[in-house]
Amino acid sequence: MKDLLRILVSPVVWLASFSAIYALHGLICQLDPGASEPFGVSLSRITLIAAFVLAVLVQAGLLALLYSLRFGAAPGFARSVSRMSGWVGLVATLWTLFPTLAVSSCGW
Amino acid sequence: MNALARHRRLTAIWSSEPGWKGWLSTVNHSDVGRMFIVTASFHFLVGGILAMLIRAQLATPNSAFAGPEIYSQLFTMHGTIMMFLFAIPMIEGLAIYLLPKMLGTRDLAYPRLTAYGYWCYFFGGAMLLISLVFGIAPDGGWFMYPPLTGRIHSPGINTDFWLIGITFVEISAICAAVEFTVSILKYRAPGMTLGKMPVFAWYMLVVSLMILTGFPPLILGSILLELERAFALPFFQVELGGDSLLWQHLFWLFGHPEVYIIFLPAAGMVSTILPVMASTTLLGYRWVVAAAVALAILSFGLWVHHMFTTGIPHMGLAFFSAASTLVAVPTAVQVFAWIGTMWKGTPQLRLPMLHILGFFITFVIGGLTGVMVAVVPFDWQVHDTAFVTAHLHYVLFGGFVFPVLAGIYYWLPLVTGNRRFFRLGKVAFALIFAGFHVTFLAMHWVGLMGQRRRISTYAPEDGWTAINLISSVGGFVLAFGLAVVLIEVVLSFVVRHRAPRNPWGSGMLEWAIPRPSAAYNFASLPRVNSRDPLWDDQNLPVRIARGEGYLGDPASGRRETLMIDSATAEPEQLVIYPANTRLPIVLAAVTGLFFLSLLLKIYLITPLAIAGVVALGWRWVWRLGSKQDLGDQPIGHGVAVPTIAEVSRPPGWWGSVFLLVANATLFGSLLFGYAFLWTIAPGWPPPAFIAPSLPTMLAAAVGAALAVAGVAIAVRTNRNGGTPVSGLLAAVAGALGLVAVFAMMLWSAPPAAGHAYNATVMVLGSYGLVHAALASLMLIFLLARHRAGYMSQRRRGELAIVKVWTMYLAGVTGLVVPAVYLPGLVT
Ligand code: HEM
Ligand SMILES: [Cu+2]
Repeated sequence: MKDLLRILVSPVVWLASFSAIYALHGLICQLDPGASEPFGVSLSRITLIAAFVLAVLVQAGLLALLYSLRFGAAPGFARSVSRMSGWVGLVATLWTLFPTLAVSSCGW
Repeated sequence: MNALARHRRLTAIWSSEPGWKGWLSTVNHSDVGRMFIVTASFHFLVGGILAMLIRAQLATPNSAFAGPEIYSQLFTMHGTIMMFLFAIPMIEGLAIYLLPKMLGTRDLAYPRLTAYGYWCYFFGGAMLLISLVFGIAPDGGWFMYPPLTGRIHSPGINTDFWLIGITFVEISAICAAVEFTVSILKYRAPGMTLGKMPVFAWYMLVVSLMILTGFPPLILGSILLELERAFALPFFQVELGGDSLLWQHLFWLFGHPEVYIIFLPAAGMVSTILPVMASTTLLGYRWVVAAAVALAILSFGLWVHHMFTTGIPHMGLAFFSAASTLVAVPTAVQVFAWIGTMWKGTPQLRLPMLHILGFFITFVIGGLTGVMVAVVPFDWQVHDTAFVTAHLHYVLFGGFVFPVLAGIYYWLPLVTGNRRFFRLGKVAFALIFAGFHVTFLAMHWVGLMGQRRRISTYAPEDGWTAINLISSVGGFVLAFGLAVVLIEVVLSFVVRHRAPRNPWGSGMLEWAIPRPSAAYNFASLPRVNSRDPLWDDQNLPVRIARGEGYLGDPASGRRETLMIDSATAEPEQLVIYPANTRLPIVLAAVTGLFFLSLLLKIYLITPLAIAGVVALGWRWVWRLGSKQDLGDQPIGHGVAVPTIAEVSRPPGWWGSVFLLVANATLFGSLLFGYAFLWTIAPGWPPPAFIAPSLPTMLAAAVGAALAVAGVAIAVRTNRNGGTPVSGLLAAVAGALGLVAVFAMMLWSAPPAAGHAYNATVMVLGSYGLVHAALASLMLIFLLARHRAGYMSQRRRGELAIVKVWTMYLAGVTGLVVPAVYLPGLVT
């Protein structure tokens, strides 16, 4: 059962962070925090980017755990599949959430 | 005992009742699997006839064949039947039939549940078909968007048939998913570790987990919409704090994963059949498993791409557009693994292979048009045109029907014991392939020319006439091809022409059993050392039949199989199955009565039906277990393991855990809906929040603590040889206290029809009430079981099961009570 967990964890965490950041974005657009711009960037943009960076760091941490001897799976099937899905989680996070950096936020 | 005597003895133990009565009381997976497949095929026939009616209507402009009212019923029922009554049940049937045989075991984890699921599907499907016959079928499109499907715009009973009938049918999907998950994780041949599992089992494991988390949002949505229609609870009504977009979110949270729930099992069949057709092994087994996992989870992050035209902010669009393009990667990994497998082996163009090639070509085209519509500006152009319907058929027909046809031809000898005699298959394939592409290429084309989907007719000036006619002719050719397949399948049951064992030369266990398959599958359970045990040992079938594996001695007269440790794959528990019973069909009928009473609004019957379900459920579990300790049982090869009654994690524990995963998803979707309405819907905050009541909150905390502590104490004292009664009594008191808390909450809530907030509170409170009542009932059941002598220090499994449910109740209480009272406390 632990091996199954190792295989599923990174993509599931991607799903959680993806949904959370989508929700955060919805919330920000709804609350409309106005034009406070600390460094010439809007506060909402900073929040979103911070969340994005956090999600990437979490994925990187998970990947490190999957490669570690202590938490990773024993050599064989579960090890290679869990590492592959670890990469899936990281790449998916980078690819699907990069719009926080690039795209206009609440416009239609 | 020789092989023949063993076969006779095992058949006597395992077979269903003779005659037609056998169909009503069988719980054997081979029987129920076949029943699923036949019923699903029947629904395919009905759905196909509807498709022909649609194409007949669209063949000419200004056609008067069906008016708009009837046309709406036609396409809605076509889509609904194909998705819910054909595709999903077909997968369930195939997997129910095949999985135990592939995994090297004798049945699925919960045979009676298999049968119950079937009968729910049967009755629910019948409900929808009856509505079709009477011309009162659902007509709001297969995704049933409100406000169109709300009370005001769809006052008739049509929509209720969909909401209630489909929810009823979904029970069978959830049952099957729980069953597959537990069976794949725990019911395998000894030695079959996760890495040695047939790849189809991996796909089905992933799909089952997807069903458990994908279907609950739809079930919740249907419940909410039906509550709105029947009792005016305004979840989707903007004037009263609802939002019709909530439905779209809930529906597509289900709907997009659904597409992969349909595709992945088909891909699993391709990954199983293709290597055999090429006389080799699957290239990159690990990559394929990882791709399936990735695809499954990624598919849950795509749902908003069905809502690109609903006014989603830019960044939201970009998220989901990016995610939608990303799924192409794991899909490509699978496709390359298949191409590599063909490269590595020597593919032969036998019949299943033809259908696999049909699948390749069609599915790849469907994937490409899928990437096209994942691009937002393009989607804005073609949204709701025939281009989208054409795309979805390339994916569904290409990605599902072709693999299923390959699978049918591939496993047919196992089911019938015969080889095909008339060589109709190639003709059928040619008709289907050509017919399909003509039909749907034409539809892409008219779609780009602006023909909208779901229009009952068009004018000659539109310039679509010729293309539509071509498309319809293609459709009829396709239908003719499918009819030929049907004829051939029926013939191969009738015409005796005995097939050799393992006709395709596969290495997998399902070909190591008698053909046609015996009720018990394996005369003894083999030990497996690789993914292709039949290639390791040509003699394996004989050794299995001679009883050289585990459980080779049928002396006990019980239906037995083994549960293994999921990591090491060593025998862990001896499973003793219940025998044939009519309980599943009766329970399904009473469940149907419940749904019917809601449909016909005869609410007097509803409580009776619920009481019936409870009573039958009680009987269902009461029959299990034993009144004495059996001790460790010998299973052959000098190994002895405890029976399932005498362990702390029996099958029921595993089943409960996965059922609760689905349940928690339902609850989570409800909380999501609450948050969504709160932030997005206009008309919030509501006129008044519920005044928090301190005594109720306190009582909730005490009740939850008492229930959990009580069960924990009961488990502990029982383990130490004491009596669990006092702990259980405390737990019952706690759970009943929670019943009172939730009843109070509902009692003091403002009228639910007044605002979406009130309505949500009502649903949250009811959810808590149901779980408190359920836990109370389970705890009381345990007390009764203890009195009757079914529990001992060794026989502790039932305690463990109820503990899980009690803890879940405590968790629910901990979320519902703050969700209801906190807003009032803060403001
Ligand atoms: C047997 C060959 C089939 C033909 C000729 C066919 C034809 C059609 C046509 C013409 C429509 C469009 C109706 C309209 O928008 O006015 C349609 C809709 C649809 N079809 Fe099929 N179909 C076939 C098989 C399937 C299969 C196998 C599935 C799924 C597994 C399927 C699922 C759907 C769905 C979901 C819709 C959308 C219904 C809606 O708009 O509410 N079809 N079909
Ligand atoms: Cu989708």
